[in-house]
Amino acid sequence: MLTIEGLKKSYAGHDILKGISFNVNKGDVISIIGPSGSGKTTLLRTITTLEEADGGHISFAGIDNDFQKLNGKDINTIRRNVGFVFQNYNLFNNKTALQNITEGLIVARKVKKSEAKKIALEALERVGLTDRQNHYPSQLSGGQQQRVGIARAIALNPQVIFFDEPTSALDPELVGEVLKVMQDLANSGTTMVVVTHQMNFARDVSNRVIFMADGYIVEQGSPKKIFENPSEERTKKFLTDILSNV
Amino acid sequence: MSLDTNFMVKVAYTALQGIPVTLNIVLVALLISLPIGVLFALIRIYRIKVLEQFVKFYVSLVRGTPIIAQILIVYSAFPSLLNVIIGKAAFDINPIYYAYIVFTLNSIATLTEVFRSALQTVDKGQMEAGLMVGMQPRQTFWRIILPQALISAVPNIANATLYLIKNSSLAFIMSVKDITAIAKTEAAFNYNFLEAYLVVWVYYLIICYSAEVIFYLLERYFSRYRRPTKQTTGFNWLPFSLKQPKLTAKTDLTESERTNHANN
Repeated sequence: MLTIEGLKKSYAGHDILKGISFNVNKGDVISIIGPSGSGKTTLLRTITTLEEADGGHISFAGIDNDFQKLNGKDINTIRRNVGFVFQNYNLFNNKTALQNITEGLIVARKVKKSEAKKIALEALERVGLTDRQNHYPSQLSGGQQQRVGIARAIALNPQVIFFDEPTSALDPELVGEVLKVMQDLANSGTTMVVVTHQMNFARDVSNRVIFMADGYIVEQGSPKKIFENPSEERTKKFLTDILSNV
Repeated sequence: MSLDTNFMVKVAYTALQGIPVTLNIVLVALLISLPIGVLFALIRIYRIKVLEQFVKFYVSLVRGTPIIAQILIVYSAFPSLLNVIIGKAAFDINPIYYAYIVFTLNSIATLTEVFRSALQTVDKGQMEAGLMVGMQPRQTFWRIILPQALISAVPNIANATLYLIKNSSLAFIMSVKDITAIAKTEAAFNYNFLEAYLVVWVYYLIICYSAEVIFYLLERYFSRYRRPTKQTTGFNWLPFSLKQPKLTAKTDLTESERTNHANN
């Protein structure tokens, strides 16, 4: 459904992504793990066109083109077919929880107001926040804000939702409620690509794990393979380091 | 020394006619300069070629010269300029139009800087979130970024407005019949200048204080989304009181949630 080939990106002379290739199939739940600075977030941001790629090829939603040759229309198509959940939620501060969700539906998708509200309420129900629909982001806890962020993404019914470290900004006791929502999504067949430091999520929920380091995909495979029998030295070291800290 | 109170009452009465003139200058200048200020701020933020240089130069030019000099230049340049174009009629133009021009040009420079700083306070994640729900940059700007920036801008717009109100008193130089001009003329008959100036003083105080209250209410209205189920009841209605407004906080959040807010 989504295929990326040879994706490259550099900032101020530093190569962040040095040729990333992978594909996402419908219904996949892919966890991307790796040490900080390995380019996980940049990967998500370049695929979703928040950052311009320096090279590489994308085929997705009827587009089959080099990143650098994407025109405005292609970029709109990509944005219309992806959802994005941000590390620091990025809810619209001047809109209520409900309006955060209806905004994209009404303004971008031209859905009728009443219809948009219905869709938004359904999405809020899925993340268990129907009672907070009229709260502004500043009146919600971090975990609730992130759940609204997820509801905002699913309401648009995108082909794939990208999660950029969705629980990294949360207090430890609030991580669980967000992971629970993500797990429900995964179980309902939503295609998800999740950059995460939550190894439990990567191991238990995803069907494929990608390990990245220094701008490369070092290895990828089933959670069982990556966590129990990694073939690369780099992966073993990372997992030992991270699991010994738990 | 004694104050001629009868005269003060008389001046107070005649100077009333000047209040609409003063307010007119302030409102016209504000209404025109607010949108232009936003536009100029955007030109600077997005570094639009050539125009950016122009805006920078314009802002420095206005901020770097005393308003009295600006008034004198506009008031001497424009009539002569118009004289060339429309002939003698140029000298019959109501001087208030020159006041509009000077104070608008002046406010544009101030508000450009106000909006530039306000727009930069809005997190760039807000724009990204807008793009990721499929909105165009322009739609996100109007619906998400600008409303938030306006709120950060309100205190500074209030500040700029207060300066504008006070500066408008210089319009008497262009023979505009505002509060100051009327009081000065009245005083000139009997040399009761102190009395007249005290009346002027009180009038500006009242106008500025009313403006403060209006902006306070505006700020409270617009920033309602910023308060976490918390009611702040606090404008110090007494201008000379040193007492701080009492703040009461009501909240239904748990301690951990509140800490979480603080951290965010």
